[in-house]
Amino acid sequence: MRWGMVVNLSKCVRCYACIAACRIEHFLPMGVSWPRLVALETGIERPTVSNYSVRCNHCKNAPCVSVCPTGATFQRNDGIIMIDQNKCVGCRYCVIACPYQNRTFVSKDKDRGFFPGRIQTDFEKAGKKRYPHQVGTTEKCNFCVERIDEGTKQGLTPGKDRDATPACVNTCPARALTFGNLDDPDSEISKLIRENEGFQLHPEYDTDPSIYFIDRGIGSNQALRKSEDTRQESIATGGSK
Amino acid sequence: MATMQVHEWMINYTRQTEWIDRRGLFLWLAFYAGGLGGGLYLVSLYFNSLWGMLFGWLIITGIKGSAHLIFLGKPLRAWRIVFRPHSSWLSRGIIFVLSFALFGAIQMALTRWAPGSTAEIVFKVLAGAAAFAVSIYTGFVLNSVKAVPFWNSMLLPILFILCGVLGGFGLSVVIALNGGDVNLAAAEAGTRWLLVINALLIGIYLWRAANRETTGKKSVLEQIQGNLAPFFWIGIVALGIIVPLGIALVSHLAGEVSASLILTGVTCEIIGGLTLRYCVLKAGAYKPLVARPR
Repeated sequence: MRWGMVVNLSKCVRCYACIAACRIEHFLPMGVSWPRLVALETGIERPTVSNYSVRCNHCKNAPCVSVCPTGATFQRNDGIIMIDQNKCVGCRYCVIACPYQNRTFVSKDKDRGFFPGRIQTDFEKAGKKRYPHQVGTTEKCNFCVERIDEGTKQGLTPGKDRDATPACVNTCPARALTFGNLDDPDSEISKLIRENEGFQLHPEYDTDPSIYFIDRGIGSNQALRKSEDTRQESIATGGSK
Repeated sequence: MATMQVHEWMINYTRQTEWIDRRGLFLWLAFYAGGLGGGLYLVSLYFNSLWGMLFGWLIITGIKGSAHLIFLGKPLRAWRIVFRPHSSWLSRGIIFVLSFALFGAIQMALTRWAPGSTAEIVFKVLAGAAAFAVSIYTGFVLNSVKAVPFWNSMLLPILFILCGVLGGFGLSVVIALNGGDVNLAAAEAGTRWLLVINALLIGIYLWRAANRETTGKKSVLEQIQGNLAPFFWIGIVALGIIVPLGIALVSHLAGEVSASLILTGVTCEIIGGLTLRYCVLKAGAYKPLVARPR
C-alpha cells in the first residue's frame, strides 16, 4: 500500500480551490500553505499557462526522514510522511534537506491571526482547538491523513470515497487531482500514470516522490522534462545550452 | 509577453534562507564557534596549554551551545536531538558536543591536578577526538544536503576544520602574547602554513563547486560577482587571507612585529572564518523545481 497523487496539468484551471480546501481542512495559519499553486507561461508565439499544484511529495526515500534528529518526521507503512509536532525541535534540517522546498517552519510571524493584535475570530478559536499548529515546528501536507485513517476504519477507499479522500482532491472542480494506491496496478492513478507518461519532479535525487504529474504535452513541458537536467537548468535561467 | 507573478522558488535558483536569515544567524554563529572552539582545543592540546583548552571548551559549551538553543524553534526539546545518530548528522553533532563537554572538563581537571597520569593521557585522547569531531561535523551536516549542490562536497568538512584550527592557532597566539603557556613562534608558524593551505583549499572548493551542476556554478558566481561579492572579497580574501598572511610574512622576515599588529592579524583571521561560513551558508541554492521555458 502506498498512497499517491496524480496532478493533471492539462486539467488544472488555476482556481486555487485546492489551496482553500486545505486551509479550511487544517485551519492553516495565515502565513502557511501546505499545497502551493504555481502558474508559469510556456511558449512565446503561442503562450500557454502551465499550472503546477505542488505539495509534499511523500517520497519513498525521503531525505527529510533521514536527517530529522529527533524522529519527529517519520514514514508510515502506507508511505505517508508525517511530522509529530510534539517531537519536532524546530532545527529546520528537514526544510533544508527537501529538494522540493515543500516544508514550512511555522514562525510567530506566520501565525499572527486574521486580525493581528485585535480579535480572534470564532473560526480561528475553533481551529486552534481542533487543529493546533505549534509555532517553532515544521509543517507540511499530510495527505489529509485524518480522513484516510477515519475513512478506512469505516471500510471506505481513499481516492474513491470522498470521506476518505484528501480535501484538495475532493474540492478540485476540474478533477485535475487524483488520489489512490500506487502499489495497485489497477487503481485509477496507476492507470493514469501508465497511460499518460506520468512523471515525477527531479527524479535524479532518487527520492521517488509519490506525486506524479501528467501534462499531455501542454506548452513545452513535455519536451522539457525529457531533456537533460543541465539543459533544463540552463533554460530556467535563460542561459544557453 | 505579459509578465506573471510566480513563486520564485519554483522556476529560479532559490537560495536557502532558514539556516542563515533571521534567527538562522545563530546557527551560523554556532557552526563557526564549533569550528573555532574545537580548533583551539586541538591546538592547545598540542601546546599543552590549559588556558587554551579552557577557552576552547568555553567557546563550544558557552557560545556554540547557547547559539544552537536560541536557534531552535523548541529549545526545551533539545534533548531529543541525541536519539537519531544512525541517520542524522545533527544528532551526531550534538553527541560530539556533549562528549566533548564531558571529556574536556575531566581532562582539564586531570591536567590541572594530576598531570602526566595515565588517566590524563586517556582523556586527552578522548577530548581531542571529540574536539576534532565537533570541528568537522558541521561540514558533514551541510554535505549531507543533496538538494544544495554547492554544499555537496567532501572538501567542505576539511575546509571547516582547517579554518577552525587556523582560528585556534590565532587565538593561541593571543594567549601567548598575554603570557599564556603557548610557544609564540610555533603558533605563528602554524598560522602561516594554515593560511596558505586554507587559501588554496578555498580556491579548489570554489573551482570544484563551479563544475558541480549549473546550480553550483550559480552559487560560486553569487559569491565572486553577485550580492555576496563584498563579503567574499573583503571578508574572506582581504581580511581572512591577505592581511593576516601579510602580517605573518612580515613577522617571519622581520623577526618581530608589534603585539597590536599580531592582534590585528588574528582579528582578521576570525572575521575571515566567520565570513567564510556566512558565504557558504548564504550561497547554498536549490535547483528550480520547474524549468522556465524559453
